[in-house]
Amino acid sequence: MAAPGHNKSRDVVIIGGGHNGLVTAFYLAKAGYKPLVLERSSQVGGAAVTDEFHPGFRCSTLAHTAGPIQPQIVRDLQLEKHGLKWITPEVCVTALSPHGRALSLYQDGARSAQEIAAFSPRDATKYLEFQHSLGKISKVIAEALATTPPDIDHPSRGDLWSMLQTGRAIRRLGKRDMFRLLRWGPMAVADLAAEYFETELLRAVIAARGVFGTFLGPWSAGSALVLLIRAAGDPHPAGSASFAAGGMGAVTQAMASAAKAAGAEIRTGAEVIGIRIRNEAATGVLLSTGEEIQAKAVISNADPKRTLLKLTDPTHLSPDFVQKLQHYRGHGTVAKVNLALAGLPKFTALNNGDASALKGRIHIGDEIDYLERAFDESKYGNFSRRPYLEATIPSLIDPTLAPEGKHVMSIYMQYAPYQLKGDWPKCDWEEQRNALGQSVVQTLAQYAPNLPELILTHQIITPLDLEEKYGLTGGQIFHGDLALDQFFTMRPLLDWARYRTPIQNLYLCGSGTHPGAGLTGGSGANAAREILKNLKK
Amino acid sequence: MANSYDVIVIGGGHNGLVNAAYLARAGKKVLVLERRHVLGGAACTEEIVPGFKFSVCSYVVSLLRPEIIRDLDLPRHGLEILPLDGTFTPMPTGDYLWRVNDHGKTHREIARHSRVDAEAYDEFGKAMQAMCRFVKPILSMVPPDPTTLNPRELMKLLFIGRRFQAMSSYDQYNQVQLMTMSAVDFLDQWFETDVLKATMSASGIIGTFLGVRSPGTAYVLLHHYMGEIDGAFRAWGFARGGTGAISNAIADAAREAGVEIRTQSAISQIIIKNGKARGVVLAHGDEVYADVISSSVDPRLTFTKFIEAQHLPGDFLEDVNRFKFRGSSGKLNMALDGLPNFKCMPGPGAHLRGAISISPSVEYMERAYDDAKYGNFSRRPYIDIVIPSLTDPSVAPPGKHVMSCFVQYAPYKLRPGLNWDDQKEAFGDTVVNTIAEYAPNIKDIIIQRQVITPLDLEREWGLTEGNIFQGELSLEQLFFLRPVPGWAQYRTPIKNLYMCGSATHPGGGIMGANGRLAALEILKDIKGAA
Repeated sequence: MAAPGHNKSRDVVIIGGGHNGLVTAFYLAKAGYKPLVLERSSQVGGAAVTDEFHPGFRCSTLAHTAGPIQPQIVRDLQLEKHGLKWITPEVCVTALSPHGRALSLYQDGARSAQEIAAFSPRDATKYLEFQHSLGKISKVIAEALATTPPDIDHPSRGDLWSMLQTGRAIRRLGKRDMFRLLRWGPMAVADLAAEYFETELLRAVIAARGVFGTFLGPWSAGSALVLLIRAAGDPHPAGSASFAAGGMGAVTQAMASAAKAAGAEIRTGAEVIGIRIRNEAATGVLLSTGEEIQAKAVISNADPKRTLLKLTDPTHLSPDFVQKLQHYRGHGTVAKVNLALAGLPKFTALNNGDASALKGRIHIGDEIDYLERAFDESKYGNFSRRPYLEATIPSLIDPTLAPEGKHVMSIYMQYAPYQLKGDWPKCDWEEQRNALGQSVVQTLAQYAPNLPELILTHQIITPLDLEEKYGLTGGQIFHGDLALDQFFTMRPLLDWARYRTPIQNLYLCGSGTHPGAGLTGGSGANAAREILKNLKK
Repeated sequence: MANSYDVIVIGGGHNGLVNAAYLARAGKKVLVLERRHVLGGAACTEEIVPGFKFSVCSYVVSLLRPEIIRDLDLPRHGLEILPLDGTFTPMPTGDYLWRVNDHGKTHREIARHSRVDAEAYDEFGKAMQAMCRFVKPILSMVPPDPTTLNPRELMKLLFIGRRFQAMSSYDQYNQVQLMTMSAVDFLDQWFETDVLKATMSASGIIGTFLGVRSPGTAYVLLHHYMGEIDGAFRAWGFARGGTGAISNAIADAAREAGVEIRTQSAISQIIIKNGKARGVVLAHGDEVYADVISSSVDPRLTFTKFIEAQHLPGDFLEDVNRFKFRGSSGKLNMALDGLPNFKCMPGPGAHLRGAISISPSVEYMERAYDDAKYGNFSRRPYIDIVIPSLTDPSVAPPGKHVMSCFVQYAPYKLRPGLNWDDQKEAFGDTVVNTIAEYAPNIKDIIIQRQVITPLDLEREWGLTEGNIFQGELSLEQLFFLRPVPGWAQYRTPIKNLYMCGSATHPGGGIMGANGRLAALEILKDIKGAA
């Protein structure tokens, strides 16, 4: 390998091969640079990976559905051409009630309304109204998400222009929806759902979107904003279900292949343990092997705290900045349980044999108060004994994931606070690991009594695992809480929402930057655009 | 008595009276109609027990706008504010936290709990003052309509934007957090002492159905630094003679300016002829006419009780019905035979002269909220206690005292199967028992107690769902969204009908700003029409 640094083609190093890092790598390569992606684990993908967790059983280890990826990115990277096959079942989500009722919502609004009518004709009409307003509003937010947050103190011409554009878009909403946008943001998602619907099951499945992955309950103010941010990428009221053939790993594999084709280089098993800094400017990175790689620019796909407080020597940062960053909140609340099943579980709410309703996401949490009570326990440092669950059975739509007739089930569990009661989260989570798995299986068994005897093996991923194995500080899957004060021009910090850092040539491109919600690639694409501006200077 | 006026003000609460006074001073012939036998609405003093004067609902004052005190010359009309010194928080451990206005003392006291916090406390105070300088002008400002392109409205927005830009990035950072974060998250960044955070965060939840950990509660922390008495920052106080004395002083100023005030004059309807408000129908059937009707009662009453739906646009009515009230607090007023004796600081003393806050820990506050979320009053509630008779002997017989306890949470909507008429005394007992854990002698010195539930606040004071601020002070119901998006400028879809109560910007508390701003808008329109 030619001596780095002198080698003109070794001009950008990207720390971390998560989906945002790969997207950034692609755009930089496309612009003629030769980025080097350094991924610490043996495969790229970060939180979007597929593993064989039991002989013959493969499953999306963490994320099990896509954000979905911003269409523009899918087009630019030509992911299909690089082997990605999306699978989007008609059914988006099926919410189950313990009283044996099920509510399925489909991509098609009319069909969803039909289903809802069985619970409440009034809600059926309201659903279409909600879908309409949400669609209009989320389109506007989507525009905002696709822009770089403006510089508040000295807005540039470009900033003013994009602000004007967003302003125009907002005006096009008309008075009613404009006020809805203003009013909804700070609301509690439970209030928002209650303004439209009377059916608890429907309220709950929609409210769930506002709390997923956050340290908020449906009654927490600001949870409606989370719903709006997610709706920007996916305007379906309850969220759609977009799977990839071969699991989420296939998405990042296709991204990696696109990046390589464009000229990026990717090294796995290469763990960066430090960022080299000279005269307040990043000059390269240090690997665990002791190898040093020089670069004109260092881009980190790791979360802001990990990047600037761990990989960087904080003495290069102002105490004020360090303090603010320490206050950047990232409460891990999500755990993951993956099951290898000897057969398809029978859900009492669904007439036997009919698996079609199970092809999307399965929502457990039949009432707003059920979700809120699950949250309550986590406030005091316990994981929910009756948790809110989002499960998928991807083997139903992608038989390659499990042997003939067998299945894999992927389950998000909330709430599992990273900080359990007591000062030693490590030993606590080691003790609690199986209890966590138990409460998930027991909860599911109330809806599918035969599930326990079908379990061949289970994989339990605690918030602590998320931090240690996947580098998510505090086990926060979004690289930092999605909250009013950590959003847009404030993500990760006010004045530092433009992918730059106080250290020259050191940039952020992960979910800890705007827009940073879920598996969308938005942060990576925005970051690439900003970084290119600087590199060209 | 005439039956035709320039302006009729519905409701003789402090905002209605301020509104009337300003209009009369501008030469208008004004009539104020109050349903109850006493003026002041929730800012009233009543002798519930002979010899004991209770500030029945609202019990301390701080935010009363200085310009109003000046314009209406309230001191000359008998307003005298006595300082309320400090906050005393007893702890179950037998320890306590006692903050007073004396900077040195407070510093030493906090240092006793944490040296770091003692330093941070001064910093925090400075930061808060900076925030106040930004927010204060907004309190005295008619909210802009962000959806129009009308230059005057845009200028207002620009004004706010400019002020924001003008702040140091440090202050900007704090300001943004303050407007969006939860009180506890915000305080966590400054302090480590649990009892300090718990007591400070309490101000963030008053009058809302939120917990100290709910985003949007940090903003209200400001109010405690915004208070102003004789120009002294963050001073809280009592009115001599009880809170009612404030309303009486304003009423006095109003009468002097020519306002006619009728008590025990409930109205049953607002008269509307071809889209214009023309007058009101009194409960006993009389009609009174006026060119302008200014309502200081909340929008739920104004638009769904006093006006038939046919007169209002459907989506406006929808928004009115959507406006959140959700009363979350109650009150307990007690006539005492002596003073409570706190285990952690026995005997009488200065610590009883300030506010006594039952808020021992953040978890205590949050659990109190959890009870309310599911339709129960808190088993262990947050209580804000004052004993005004120590500062103002005129409110109780010699040697005796009045004790006012503000209690949260007491949700207006109890869970199915419970109702407030049955729960009332149980609620009172819970409060007494909670206090008794810190001051065991309390049970022996109660001469008589008055329990006020959210339902009482609705029935007796016309506060819908018992919300003391005429509508929750939550982010989505503030500024240009208060009370109804698009109708935050005191006008209504009905010509000549205005709102001037706490349900309008800048919200609740004894500020009077709502009444004043509404009056100025009304006068603007009258001039415009002339």
